[in-house]
This record gives sequence, C-alpha cells and structure tokens, in this order.
Amino acid sequence: MPRVMVNSRSVEAPSGSTILEAARSLGIDVPTLCQLDGLRPNTSCMLCVVEVEGRSGLVPSCAAPVADGMLVETDSTAVRAARRTVLELLLSDHVGDCFAPCEHTCPLHLDIPQMLRQVAEGDLRGAVNTVRADVALPSVMGRVCPQLCERTCRRALIDKPADICVIKQFVADSDLESGMAATFVRQPPSGKRVAIVGAGPCGMASAYYLCLHGHQCVVFEKLSHVGGRLRVDFTEETLPARIIDAEAALIGRLGGEFRLNTNVTLADFEAFHEDYDAVLLAAGRLTESVSESFGLPVAAGLISTRSHTHETEIAGVFAAGDAVKPNDLVVRCVAQAKSAAGEIDQFLRKGRVDRPPHTTSVRVGHVTREELTSLIPPVRGAVRVNTALSNAAALSLAGVQQEAARCLQCGCAARDRCGLRTYAEEYGARAARFHGKRRSLERQFSAEGVIFEPGKCILCGLCVQITHDAEEPLGLTFLGRGFDMRIGVPFGAALGDGLTRCAQRCVEACPTGALAYSSSTCAACGGETTGA
Amino acid sequence: MMIRMTRPAALALAVTGGAAASLCIVLLIALHVHGMRATATGTTRVKALQQAVKQYPEQGPALQEELDRLAKDSVRRADRSALAANILLLSVVVFLVGAKCLTALRPRQAPSLPAVREKRSEGTAPREKLRRRGRRGPIDPANGNGCGREPSDWCFVNAAVARIGRHRSAAIPLLQSIQTQYRFLPEDALKRVCDLTEITPAQITGVASFYPQFRHSPTGEHIIRVCHGTACHVSGAESVAEEIRRHLGIQAPADTDSLGRFTVEEAACLGCCTRAPVVQIDATTYGPLAVEHVIEVLDQHELVAELANQTSRSRSNGNAWHSPADERQGEIRIGLGSCCVAAGSDKVHEAMTAAVAQIGAHARVKRVGCVGMCHRTPLVEIVRPDGASALYAGVGPEDASALVRRHFPPAGVARRVGNTARAFWTELCSSNGSTATVRCGIDLRDPPVAAFVDPQRKIATEHAGSIDPVDCDEYLRHDGFAALRRCISALAPQDVIEELRRSGLRGRGGAGFPAGEKWHRVRQAVGEPKMVIANGDEGDPGAFMDRMLMESFPYRIIEGLAIAAYAVGAKEGYFYIRREYPLAVQRIRDAIGECERRGFLGHSLFGSSIALTLHIAEGASAFVCGEETALIASIEGQRGVPRFRPPYPADSGLWGRPTLVNNVETLANVPWIVRHGAGAFAALGTPNSKGTKVFALAGKIRRGGLIEVPMGVTIRQIVEEIGGGIKNDRSFKAVQIGGPSGGCIPAAMADTRVDYEALGAVGAIMGSGGLVVMDESDCMVDIARYFLSFTQAQSCGRCTPCRIGTRRMLDMLDRICEGRGTRRDLDELEPLARNIEQSSLCGLGKTAPRPILTTLRYFRDEYEAHLSGRCPAGKCKALTAYVVTPECIGCTLCAQHCPVDAIAYRPYERHEVDLARCTRCGICLATCPENAIEVVSPCPA
Repeated sequence: MPRVMVNSRSVEAPSGSTILEAARSLGIDVPTLCQLDGLRPNTSCMLCVVEVEGRSGLVPSCAAPVADGMLVETDSTAVRAARRTVLELLLSDHVGDCFAPCEHTCPLHLDIPQMLRQVAEGDLRGAVNTVRADVALPSVMGRVCPQLCERTCRRALIDKPADICVIKQFVADSDLESGMAATFVRQPPSGKRVAIVGAGPCGMASAYYLCLHGHQCVVFEKLSHVGGRLRVDFTEETLPARIIDAEAALIGRLGGEFRLNTNVTLADFEAFHEDYDAVLLAAGRLTESVSESFGLPVAAGLISTRSHTHETEIAGVFAAGDAVKPNDLVVRCVAQAKSAAGEIDQFLRKGRVDRPPHTTSVRVGHVTREELTSLIPPVRGAVRVNTALSNAAALSLAGVQQEAARCLQCGCAARDRCGLRTYAEEYGARAARFHGKRRSLERQFSAEGVIFEPGKCILCGLCVQITHDAEEPLGLTFLGRGFDMRIGVPFGAALGDGLTRCAQRCVEACPTGALAYSSSTCAACGGETTGA
Repeated sequence: MMIRMTRPAALALAVTGGAAASLCIVLLIALHVHGMRATATGTTRVKALQQAVKQYPEQGPALQEELDRLAKDSVRRADRSALAANILLLSVVVFLVGAKCLTALRPRQAPSLPAVREKRSEGTAPREKLRRRGRRGPIDPANGNGCGREPSDWCFVNAAVARIGRHRSAAIPLLQSIQTQYRFLPEDALKRVCDLTEITPAQITGVASFYPQFRHSPTGEHIIRVCHGTACHVSGAESVAEEIRRHLGIQAPADTDSLGRFTVEEAACLGCCTRAPVVQIDATTYGPLAVEHVIEVLDQHELVAELANQTSRSRSNGNAWHSPADERQGEIRIGLGSCCVAAGSDKVHEAMTAAVAQIGAHARVKRVGCVGMCHRTPLVEIVRPDGASALYAGVGPEDASALVRRHFPPAGVARRVGNTARAFWTELCSSNGSTATVRCGIDLRDPPVAAFVDPQRKIATEHAGSIDPVDCDEYLRHDGFAALRRCISALAPQDVIEELRRSGLRGRGGAGFPAGEKWHRVRQAVGEPKMVIANGDEGDPGAFMDRMLMESFPYRIIEGLAIAAYAVGAKEGYFYIRREYPLAVQRIRDAIGECERRGFLGHSLFGSSIALTLHIAEGASAFVCGEETALIASIEGQRGVPRFRPPYPADSGLWGRPTLVNNVETLANVPWIVRHGAGAFAALGTPNSKGTKVFALAGKIRRGGLIEVPMGVTIRQIVEEIGGGIKNDRSFKAVQIGGPSGGCIPAAMADTRVDYEALGAVGAIMGSGGLVVMDESDCMVDIARYFLSFTQAQSCGRCTPCRIGTRRMLDMLDRICEGRGTRRDLDELEPLARNIEQSSLCGLGKTAPRPILTTLRYFRDEYEAHLSGRCPAGKCKALTAYVVTPECIGCTLCAQHCPVDAIAYRPYERHEVDLARCTRCGICLATCPENAIEVVSPCPA
C-alpha cells in the first residue's frame, strides 16, 4: 500500500484511493462541495485542492490518486487562499438571498419566511416555535412593532407586502390563548445565575433569551409591576396589560424570577458579585450619580460600553437598553437584549466576549417584477391575493393562512445546511469581492414539492450523476457550457419529469439551496426534511 | 450601361466592321504563310541547338543565348500575328455590335450592383428586394426533404441511425448529420434518436447544447461566418461583424435576419490569418474584407447565389485530370490550401484549367498543398519537364491565359489566331491582362523571397508546394511510406520508440511532452487493444499549420500515425479533425480510403501481419476538445469536458484503453525521422528543443505565411528576416506566441529563441504555433481582453476557477477597456489570474491567464493609462474619439460612407464627427483621401 504524508503525518492508503480519502482517514478535514462518497469525482468546485510536492499548481484531492512517497499539504497559505478565491467566485455567481430582505431588516432577525410558510401550511405550532426562537415577548411585539420588515417585503413590487406583523401577533396570541404549548429549544441548565436590573422590555427580553441559553435569571424591578415603558408608552387598547403579564408569566415558567418592588442599591449591586455570575443593567436611563456610584463611567448620561458589545468596564457587568443607547422603538430594545444575552452567554461559558463571528450572506439586491413573478409557485399562485388584514381581532385562521401564503419565500430554505455558506464563513470569503452582471433570479417547481433555483446551483454535477445512476427516464443534465452552463431537464421538460425516482437523494446531495423541498415536510417520506 | 444607338449609326458600324474584317483575314493569311516557313527552320535549329547543349555542356551559355534569340524571334513573330489578329477581332466585334444593334429592338437590362450610397439611403430597399426574390424559408422538419409527411415519420433520422450506429459514441455524428439535413436540431428528431439508440435524453441534450456547432433554431439561407481569429481581430474583425449585423438589421442576441436570409456567426478562426479580416459566406471566403466593402460583398454574394440558383450552375472544385501525355510540356502548380482559396486561387485554378483547354496547351494543371507564402497568394508555379520553374505570385484569374500562352504556346495556326484574338479582347477589357508575367513574376533569388524561403527548413512540410496532396503515387515517388515500410520490415516497435526518443521530438500541440516518452508509456501500459489518435483539433485563433499539414500532406500524417500505431501496438486509430476544416477532413478521408485500397492500411499493412484501421471523428467547434481528455470524451460521444489526469490517456484513454494522442504536426515529423535517422533531426535546434517548428506567421507583418524554421531561431529573425518587418513602416511592438494559452513577448525581448524552455521563461509558450505580430497601433489591454474573451467563451464550465474566474477577469478587463475600470480592478486582476493558473482543472484554464499575466508584466503602463481614460494605441473604442483635422478638404466622402450618419454632409467645409453617434467603425478613416481624420485618446470632454 502506498504510504503518503499528509500535513507531515504519515498514512498508508489503499492503492487507487484518493488523497481526500487518505486525509480523511487521518481525521484531517478537507472541504468539498461537489464530492459525495460512492459517486465519481466531479472535480467541479475545486475547493478540495491541496498542495502536492513536485506538482505545479494545486491538485483536486477528491480525484487525485495517492502515490507512494507523496507529500501533501492540505492547509497551507496558498491552499487557503485558493479555496477562499474559489468560494468568492462561487458567491459572485450565486443568485439568491441567504436571508429574505424582511428577515435582514427585522432587528430580531426572525425567520419570517419560515413562520409564514408554517402558517400557510396550517402548522401553527411550528410557527410559534419559529417565532419564540427569535422573538421575546412576541404578543407584545406584534402589537407595538413598527413593521420594518414589511417595508422591505418584495411582494410590494407585485401587489402589497405580506401582513407579517399581524400574522406574528396572531401566532403568538394563539400560543398564549392555547396555554402556552410552545416547545422551546433550550440549552441544558448551565448552573449560572444572572441578575438583571429593570423589568422593562429590555430586561424582560434579556431574561427570556438568557433562560433559553440555559441560565437562571433574577429580574429586579423597583416598581410593583413588570413592563416598564410598555405600560407608559402604549394605551391599554393598543397593548393590554394582560398581554404583558402573560409574557412575564411565560418567562417565569422558563425559570426567570421577577423581584418586584426591589430597588437595587449600591450595596445590592456590590453583593451581586457574590451571588451572581453576571449582571445586566437594563433599568432604562440611569441618572449619572447612580451610574457613577455603581463605578461605571458615564458619558452624556449613557453608560459607555466596549465597542460592538454590551460589556462595561467592570468584568461581568453588562448594560443594555436605554441605559446605553436611547431607543425609540421597543423592538430595538429587545434586539439589544438579544445581543446582550448572547454576549453574557459567551462570557459565562468562555470567560470572554468575542466579536460577532464573520457571517456570509448573499443578497440579490434589486429584483425585477418579472423575476419576482417567477418565484410564485404555480398552484397556489392563483389564490394569492391581498386580503388586506387590518384588524387582528377579525382574524380567522383561514384568513391568516391565506395571507401567509402570499409570501414569496425570498430567503433560502437551505442556508443552515449550505456548504457554500459554511465554508465561506470558515475561510472568510467575501461575497462582494468579485462582481459582474447578475444572472436572472428564477425558480422551478415540481408537483412533488421540489424547488430548483438555477441561480443557486454551483454546477457540482452530483444530481446529474444521481439521476444518471438511478436511470431516470429523463433525469437532469448539463445544458450549455462555460459560464452559461446550467442544470436542466432534457428537452425542456418540467422539473418533476426529470426527478421521478430520486428527488429526495438529489435534494439531500445538493450542496446549496439550489434543490430543496418547498414545504417543511417531505412529500415522499412524510418525515422532516433536512432542507426546510 | 447601354448607349443610345440609332439605326443608321448601327448600319454604318456593321458595314465598316465587315470591310475591315475581310481586309484583316487577307493579311493574316499572308503572315501565316511566312510564319510557317520561319517556324519550320526555327524548330530544326532549336532541336539541333538542344542536342548541342547536351553534347557540349561547356558551350552552354553561348548556345543558350542563341536559343533565347530564337525564342525571342518566335515571340516577335507571334506578336505580329497577334496584332493582325487583334485588328481582325476588333473589326469583327465592331461588325457584330453593329449587327446586334440593328436586330435588337429593346436593350436587355443587365443586372447591376447597386451603389453603396443608394442602398443605404433607401433604407428599406434591400428588404424589398429580398421579398421580391421570394424566400426559401427554413425547411419544415415535419415534411421537409420529401422524406415523410407525418411529424412522427423521421425516415431521415432512421436512415442516419442505420448508417452511423446506435452506440452512445454515435451521438455527435448523428447530430451533425441531422443538422446538415435540417439546418438545425429539431427536438423531435433528437427524441427519435433516443428512441432508436442507446443514447439517453440527458446525453443528447447535454451534447447538443455543449458544442457550438449545433443550433437549436434554423439558420438563414446563407451563413456568414466572421472570423474572430487573432489576426482578424487586430485587423478590425469586430467592426466588420458590427457592420454586417447593422446592414442586415440583426440585433443581438438574434443571429439571423428577420427574413431568414442570412445567419451571422462568429468563427473562432477560419485559419486564413494572412488574409485578415476574413469573412466566409457559405462556402466562399472573402479576405481581406475591409469594413467599407462589407455591403458590396454582401450584395454581390446574394446576387451570385441568386444567379447560381437560377441557372443551377454547378462548379466543379476538383482537379482537372489529364492524361500523362499532357505532362509533356510540364505542369502548372496552384496552391489550393484553404487560405489560398480565400485569396482566390480556386478561381485561378478554374481559369487556368479553362485556359489550358482553350489554348490547347499540353500542360497539367495541378493542385498542390499550401505553399507557405500566404502573403503572395494566389501563387502559381509553372514547371517545365526539364525541372526549370517560374513562380508567379498574386495571380488573378485574368492572368491565366496570358501565363499559359507565355509558357505553353499552342500548336497549330488556328488555335494561335483564336488565342491571340481572345488575348487581345481580354486585354482590351482589363487594364492589366498582358502584364501578368511582369507583374506577378517572382524569383526565388529575389532578396525578399530568399529571406522568406532561405531560413526555413522543411521537415513536416517537406515538398511543400510541389506535391499533389491527394496523389498517392506522387507521395510514393517522394519516399512516401518508405518509413512505415522500414519500420514494419526492419525495426522492432521498441527500436522505433528508441529512435524517436533519441530524435528529441517533443509534442507540437503546445505542451511539448517528449513524444518518445509518451509512446513508451502507451507501449508499456497494461490493457489491450491500444488506440492511437491524431489530434487535428487545431482551435487556436491565429494558428493554421495543422490544417495546412492535413490538407497538404494527408499521406504523411497517416504514415506518421501508422508508425505510431505500430510502435505502441495499436490496431485502431482515430483522426479528430475540426469541422471548420472540411477540406482537411475530405483529404484525410480520401487518403485513408486510398491507403486501404493499396494495402497500406487495413488487415495487413504491406502484406505483413500488422493491422491498422483508421477512423475520422469530426469535432463540433469546441476549442476545449484540443485537450486530450476532452477530445477522448468527444469521440466517445460525450460533452467535451476534460477530466483530471492521472490517469493519463496512456493508461486509460478512449473506452478506457491505453491511448496515444499526438498532434498532427508531431506525427508529420515522424516519417522524416525514421527515414533520415534520429541524429539528423536532433542535429537541428537547441539542446532541449530539437528539429523544426511550423509557425503560422500573421498580423502586422509584411510577409505572412506558413513557415517551418529550425528550433533556436530568434523571434527577431522570424519577424524581421522571414516576415520582412512590420507593415506600413510602423514599429514592432510585440509578438503573441502560442495563441490564447500563450503570451505576448515585447519587441525588446525579440532575441528570445524559439525553444520550449526559453519561451516558457518569458511567460509565453511554444503553443501550437500561432505567431501574430503586433505594431504600435495595437492595444495590449485589448489583446489580453481578446484572448480572454476567447478562452472564456471556450471554457467547458466544469471547474469553478475557469468557469467563473475567466468571466470575472473578463469583466474587469471589459471595465478597464471601456473606461469604467477602477484601481481595485487592476489590483484584483493579477491575484485572480495567478489563482486560476494554479487551481484550474485542465490546460485551458491553467493557461487562460497567460495573455493577461504577460501583458501585465510587460505593458503595465498601458493598463495604468486605461485607468486614467486613455488608450495609448487608440484602439479601445470607449476611450477614443475621431476628430477631423484642418487638413479636411470637405470632399464629403466620409459623410457619404458613415454608416450611422455621424458626420454631417458639408461640401467644401471642414467636417465634424458627432461623437455621440459615432461607433468608431473606422470607415471614415479608410475613406478619407487626405488622412484628415485622427483618432484621439482620451476622448475630448
């Protein structure tokens, strides 16, 4: 058996095996997009390139066979640079939004398309979970949210934006009314305790998020009720007190404790160090004397924090909400609470707060009306009319469903399993490094619920091989060549005709969101799909 | 134009003519009687003198003088007769004209070409004309060609499948035959193919959409292929294409005019680089076609096609064969390579054949392969039986009869009279008829000719211009197949390989892998049977040597391939030839057939136990198929996509068998090496690059053509000595060597030797042999963009760096050339180019950045200038403007010719160019008699 050295580690690889296999047998990860065990190497993405001593240029490890005495380097500077460039090139020709514009705009980054999809499918419980995963106090937010998301909704180009906010309120209210049946994705209890000063929207929301992170929270409030400015800024008609109380009760159920009528003094504050692992100041705008007495530097009446974080000068003490930056909008307070909670979680687990990690997100930018129209699924398109929901009280489930179905699902259903995005983040690839004319945005639908987005396809060829091996009557094939090459069904037949036997395998093999299921459940197996 | 003629005038004309004619007849008879006597004595003397020359060679010069004097006498006599005959003819003509006018009541309207200006101003005129002529629309696939009435009845497809086969590898030939039949690929026909064969829908749609040859909508009646080769590009092919489209009213992305008359296609390279810019309309190649003549040519072509339709005149393109007796007086050799044909040599050939028949000369008009002196085509060589030859360059059809008369005076008085009369008439009609011998004659001893010919060393192109490409006997007379015979009878395969190794021959396709080593690997590889492939998929724009070799020396390449097959132990082989080279395909096909008939190929080579069958696979216009793994995929009927090597084709190639793939030029060297020995070959060239290399020399050079030089000559020698320097007294700026995979070498480095390693060191490659010379008026950024746009369009699309990377580089270059470039574009260009070079899958991607990297290396200042809005060469349209200088005399020619009316018509005033309208097509530059139009860059604000 040939013996090869991969990153200075020696391994014996069976004759005829590839460098990739040899590297993986050593536990060395080599990124791939177009490779799948059991299929022939496509050598398309060229992400798996490695350096082989004695060979000029880089070598695709997925196809290169091992040879005795080979010296392989899988993670050199040149290799990393080449991989980054390849990813940047792929991103430059990747037409689609990782996140829908609405989701981008939403300060809380609620996965709006998924919520709407679930509502449209009648999966109200799923929708509640989606909302609760990102949004604290959704019933409150549904009533007081300034609907930033709807301003960027692409549907506006065709008729009117989807009524996102009302639907969210409907979803959240239905949860509260049904006795809070939502299942929360919670981290296991960490055993850490966090003291939160102030039970306004920021404090309440922080408590909610920290509870989800698995930490125990105690919220100190000097007044006799929770809600802070929520009770001041909004009338009972807009935001009934029972809603605020219900949300507080939910936080309580998650393990959050509210200590009302408790004014935090300097002595209390100093005592927190012993009883709690972290402190969050969310008591609204503090007077300078109070802040200074706490030992916190104050500038223009605001507590100064380290840039891009909510950390104060004192280790373990965080500040958020109006104490740091005055917010007109409740939603921004909640958004601050969300990121502060994330930082506190990092602090509690790792002892330090990192800058937010590099995230890659592709955006289409300006889209034409024609392109948008192609995004509407053919069957349900007919019933998609603006139902002009205005009064949440008058909402029926059917009405909301119909409205939710108007969503164009601009975001990418596969973004969390997308290899391109994962590696782009890993290698620090910038989507905007290369630019040129964008190809058009389009979507093809099959009756079985598969969606094909040619713009997101990286032409890895996996689906072509799978359909070929499955002996599909038509299958998928490469059409054209060069930069204009696309994947398509022969003779211009419908997507469904090409995928009669192996749709699920193709969707699962697709390294991006080019092939995905339109619904959250797979039509073929009835089970939960990896994609949506 | 008809002259108005009254009846009395006509009568007078007829009477005068008749009388004069009678007088001349009497005179001629007298002259003839005198001439007969003189000729009789003359002939006897000549015979005696010739005898004497043979017997007393030392007296040669003196006797030769006497012979010359006699010859002159005879010519003088002939001239006197000719004069009389001329007068006779004139009188007859006058008589005839008079008579004709008398009888003709109404003048017959002759077809005339509409003037350029008229056509344009009328606007809709051409369309109306087209409508009047009626339209042969695209053939309806359902019931076209009388094959079947029902759409489901695809009897043509059935027949094609029966003929070509049902295997997956039949996909491309089937598609080609369907396209030939229907002028595009009807979807139903493809479905029918899937029903009848092993070919799947995925395969057939994949293949049909991969190769640019295949069309999915019908073509117009005439196909116009505008060559976008390098030489054509630097000569303004883009403007020509634009002008054609504009004239026909074809707007991108459509390629056919609304009436379905013309389809305009881009051809990567038609291989007529020395005639640039070249346009091929149907089977006729026009070149050089300056942009200002586009409309004339289109109209003319349409008219010709129309006439051809009406009279169903068929033109024979073959050789006129004569009995051996015809060779008594010698032969007339006419180069009939594709580019010679573009220069009109087929017309010369026709005219020559006609002239010989008419004059009754005992000469054989012989088609020979490429002569190499493309800058002087059409080239005619007249060889007398004693071996003496006269060379004529730039011959036109009108010169044919003069040349034949000069060298092969006919026997018999009647013919002489007739010929003289005809000659006179021709002379009368054309301005230069009788000057052919003076005007066209060239001598190999002339300094320019000698400079072109002397430094060359012909091995692959041995006997260029003297042997008939299709005549197997002639090839045999020139030691043809001696090498193959020797291999089979006297050399073991290992010995042949050893001989090749010692010769140092390296692959001529570009990469320069040692041929002997490759053969050895295939020989050693496990697996039977083995295959050999001759790679004739020469796709580089600006290169045409492989075409010329296949057209001119088909037997030599077959012999080379057969030796290779013998050496590696293969029994089957393929020729893979571009479909743009129909003549090459035809010649190789005919030659294979001839070899099989004679037992040089087939079950038993020369009666031995060795067998070899050769097939031809035609390419489908995909440049990437020159890459060996893509070529193999293409023969297998797949999309021509390269795959990762190893395994190399030597181990697993066609159908998984050990396969030898060699370029045709490599193979053309093999017989010579076997015949003359490895030592003789290795004696030529440099330590690492042996033998010779054929180059297609084109661009801004005085003497372009096909040259074969020993390795080790310098670029400067090629450009300045062989090529005679730069045209129009401009200065030498750079050479582009190696086509799109090669690089630009600046004039300052012209002392670089032609050697694989030396060229590699300066960033270029030997490549397949395109050598395009550029002068100061060529923009190097534009050249880089040109090559990149070629490779970008030819990328197969398999790997990311090439598919998207070349596109992004092109985006950057486009922006730079269009004045939208930023510093960031320039900064990103080089790292991206390096990256693509490193991580592309195949040679196409790995070498695509070279034109950019070399121009960045040597001409970075030009890139910088573009960033600041200036194109130093004045080539990039967006950065240049046309300005009329005070030299303008107001002749209005520019205004008349401007296709977009950007110049207002102002007689006797200085004209002005409306820059907003101006498309920088260059027509005004070409038409201005005072050179009063200047290209300026940057654009004035």
